[in-house]
This record gives sequence, structure tokens and C-alpha cells, in this order.
Amino acid sequence: MSSHREAPEISTDPVADSTDVYAFVSPDRPGTVTLIANYIPLQGAAGGPNFYEFGDEVLYQIHVDNNGDGRADLTFQFRFSTHTANPDTFLYNTGPIESLNSPNWNRRQTYDVTLATNTHTTKLAKNLACPPCNIGPLSTPDYGALAAKAVHALPGGITIFAGQRAEGFYVDLGAIFDLGDLRPFENLHAQYGLNVFQNPAAGVNATNHLNVHSIAIQVPASTLVRKNHPTIGVWTTASRQKVRLWDDRNGENVNSGPFRQVSRLGNPLVNEVLIPLGKKDRWNSLPPSDDKLFAGYITQPGFAAALPALYPGVFPRLAALAKAGKPRKDLEAILLTGIPAGLIPGFENFTGPVLADMLRLNTSIPATPSAKQSIYGLLGGDPAGFPNGRRPTDDVVAIELRALAGVTFPLVDKTFTPDAAAAKLTDGLTPASVSAPYLGEFPYLGTPYSGFSNPS
Amino acid sequence: MPRKPSLSRRSLLRGAAGAGAAGLAAGALGTTSNTASNTASTLEATGASAATLTAATEKTPLVVHVRDARTGDIEVFAGTTQTRLRDRDLAARIAGAIS
Repeated sequence: MSSHREAPEISTDPVADSTDVYAFVSPDRPGTVTLIANYIPLQGAAGGPNFYEFGDEVLYQIHVDNNGDGRADLTFQFRFSTHTANPDTFLYNTGPIESLNSPNWNRRQTYDVTLATNTHTTKLAKNLACPPCNIGPLSTPDYGALAAKAVHALPGGITIFAGQRAEGFYVDLGAIFDLGDLRPFENLHAQYGLNVFQNPAAGVNATNHLNVHSIAIQVPASTLVRKNHPTIGVWTTASRQKVRLWDDRNGENVNSGPFRQVSRLGNPLVNEVLIPLGKKDRWNSLPPSDDKLFAGYITQPGFAAALPALYPGVFPRLAALAKAGKPRKDLEAILLTGIPAGLIPGFENFTGPVLADMLRLNTSIPATPSAKQSIYGLLGGDPAGFPNGRRPTDDVVAIELRALAGVTFPLVDKTFTPDAAAAKLTDGLTPASVSAPYLGEFPYLGTPYSGFSNPS
Repeated sequence: MPRKPSLSRRSLLRGAAGAGAAGLAAGALGTTSNTASNTASTLEATGASAATLTAATEKTPLVVHVRDARTGDIEVFAGTTQTRLRDRDLAARIAGAIS
């Protein structure tokens, strides 16, 4: 999670597996918005000699809807090309890689970027260099500086980067997928009579010391929004051609036919946690505009109904709410329509009645200075954080756990009082659980962990 | 959008032959001498050759997918295009080639 290996089909295709999407007003460049789409989950840093890379045969896209219909009005398309300088060595590099054109770097990637609108397709750039993966002190001796050279400035005030980054999404996968265990409260878990846990415990960041591949683009907000409509919806997709054949003569896959979507991600955890197993692959193949097909899984979430059973006696009001069968219009607003004006004083990111899972960002709300940010975003009184877009440091696990547990239901039903425990839910992690520091500037996600030092 | 290759039944067989092992139908056709002979006859009769394939099919495989031989529902993939045909006779010939 938030969308790592979230559906059966895409879990077999990590190169096309989107893991996280971020969208936020750039804190260091007011007037611009940063969009980040991560792919290739849970990368072990030492995964050589064929280190992780984008798929040449995958069409990666970041979509922006600026009129609320759940369909893309602008799409940034990314196509990668892999170049092998010397096929007669097994090595990724034959010496230190000290520049992006180093002759020692044997296996590199470049990419083209295209902007597609409803009426035009514009090639923004060709043959942009990706950085190498972070291997170690001999192969990539000054990795931070090397990767910084792969940040490219494009015409129109656009900045772009594509390559390996440290995983910035922190989550206790090991506990959560062990039947909904939250270590800070595991002594309260029903434990199925096994009585394994007697005391609370600290969370464990399962993604620490792992890397992802990021596509990051920073764009003037004016390029993305419609006049007087500052809220945008953002999601990413990956597509493959319909036919793939193993060409045994050449020992490679060949592809044919039109591209079809195999992966989609807007809000974190929607497909992962809310969509049932038998629908996840279908969900991945559809645009947000079709999400009315899945709305029931969001307004009647199974996880919210399960929480009171997993933690007996802790969530009596949530149990009553679930039993009453009241549709969770609060979750519908947060995840499918945006939050209308009037629910939270001075805030809205409503895009209209179309039910569509998109990460909605009201670009007119300025970035919150780092010292004043709340990792709980809007729930923590910080309107520049999730679910108003998403910043890399936002604790989306805690925010969504709390929302599912009923914290946000009073927004739509003032007679409801959440359980006291709901506002305390967490898997016990914070941005400090991520060993690689986040960057204060583009592309914001930290320098990837090196294979030499991780695992240590 | 890329231009769709123009596909008649004859050009489909030409493409299948030219695509060699990469095409589903072509791969199957190549396994039986009888069918290979039929394909060669078609090429000869039309004066066509693999060189007449479109640029799209030269760069990527032309793949024929018989979805339903009974109804003749056939999909042809070339480049980034997909064309749907309904030809029971052609589907039967392809199916016959692998039986």
C-alpha cells in the first residue's frame, strides 16, 4: 500500500504497478504544483546486476481533470527507452558513474514527455536522462549530485525528473495485513483468542530502506487549472499494449496492439483497502469517471464494519453506524467528489457531483510552512495537506484510518459523536520513520538507499 | 492516432505469413506443410510479398487472435492498432491449420 501490489493482476507486473501519487502546491516555488507518480514497489536497494528500471513497453501517464467530469483534460505521457552500451559484459557499470554521460555506465534510460489535451498533443521533451540507480560508494560515489543533474528544466516553467527515489510512504504493512493489527493498540485486538499481544508496541515501517521509481513534474498552476476553478483532480495510470508474445528466437517479449490501462491510482488506499478482491483488476482498468460503479464500496466500507469486531468494545459508535447502514457521505466527499464549501470553514475542494476517485488539490490554498504543517493534513487543521492533494510526508494511513473509524462523519451528520479511540488511530509511524530524509526541493522524495549500505 | 492498416482477408494472410513466428496465426501456419502451401498459394495469386506490409507491421508483429472460430470473430493487432473482423471462412481456415 498505498497501492503497492494492491490487485492480483498488477501484483505480477511491478514495472507497471503504481504505488503512490502526490499532488501539492510546491512549498519552495509558489505558483507551481508538483505532481509525483511512483512505480515499481518495494525495491531492494541491492537488486543488481539488473537494477530496477522503468518499462520501455509501458505508457506511464499523469492525468489532470480540471472540470470535474472524472476525465483527463491534460495528460502528461512518459515513454522510456533503455540503452545498453556494451552487451558483452554482465555489468550495469564498468567503473564509477560520475556523470550522466559517463562511459562507465552501461545500462541507462532516457525518456520522452508529451502533453496531451483534448485538442492538442505537444512533445515537451525528448531523450531526457534518468539517473542511475544508487549502487554504492564505488559505482555512484556522489549520488545526490549526480541525481540532481537529472532534474531537467523545460520550456513553460516546467521542471521534471524520472528515476529512483527513496520510498517516502511509511506504513506498517507487516502488522496491518496480519488481520488488521495496529501495534500501538494491539493489546486491544481480539487476537482470535490467541492472546499473542499483551502490550502496545511501536510501529515498524515496512518500506524503510526500500526504493521506488518516481516520475515527478512541477508545473505552473496556471497551466493546470481552468479560470476561476482552482481545484484539480489528479491520478496516474500505466498502460500496456494488448498483446505480448515471447519471441523465443530473440529471447524477448514483443508487443502489439493498442495500449490499455492496467494500473490506476488517485487517492491512497482506495483500491487497496476499499475495493474488494474480485473487483480490483477491473477497477485498475477503468477511468475515474466510471467510479460510480464502485461507490458502494466507499460509502459502505467493509473495513469500517470490521474495525469494531477486530477491536471489541473500542468502537461501539462506529459499530452502530455501520449496523444502521447509513451511507458514509463523508468518505464520498473526501474520496469521490471533494469536500464542498460549508462543511469545513474556509475550505473546499469540491469538483462537482461526478463520483471519481481523484486526488483533489485546491491550488489556491498556499503551501503551509514546514514548521506549521500537520502530518494529519486537513484533520490536523492544515488545509494544504491530504485530502487536499497529498504531500510526501502526510500520514495518509492515520488520516484514512481515522476517517474510516468515523472521525469525519460529523461533517455530514452533526448528531454523530465518534468513538474516542477513532481520533487516535495510527499504525505508530511518522515521517521520522523514513531513514532517508525528504528533500526540501524538487523532487522532494529522498535520495534512494544504496545497495552497498542497505540492508546493513 | 496512428493510421490503421487496411486489412482485407488476403492482406491478412499476407501479413500473417510475413509476421513469421511472432504472429499467432503465422506461428501456427508454419507448423503444417499443408497450410504453408496454402499461404504460399495466396501470396503467389495476389502477387504480394512480405515487403508490402505496412510500416507498422514491419516494426512490430502482426498478431491474429481468433476469439471465436464458430462465429468468425477475429482480432488483428498491428503496431498500436486493433482491427476486428467477422469472417467464419477465414477463422475456419486458421483453426484448421492447427488441427
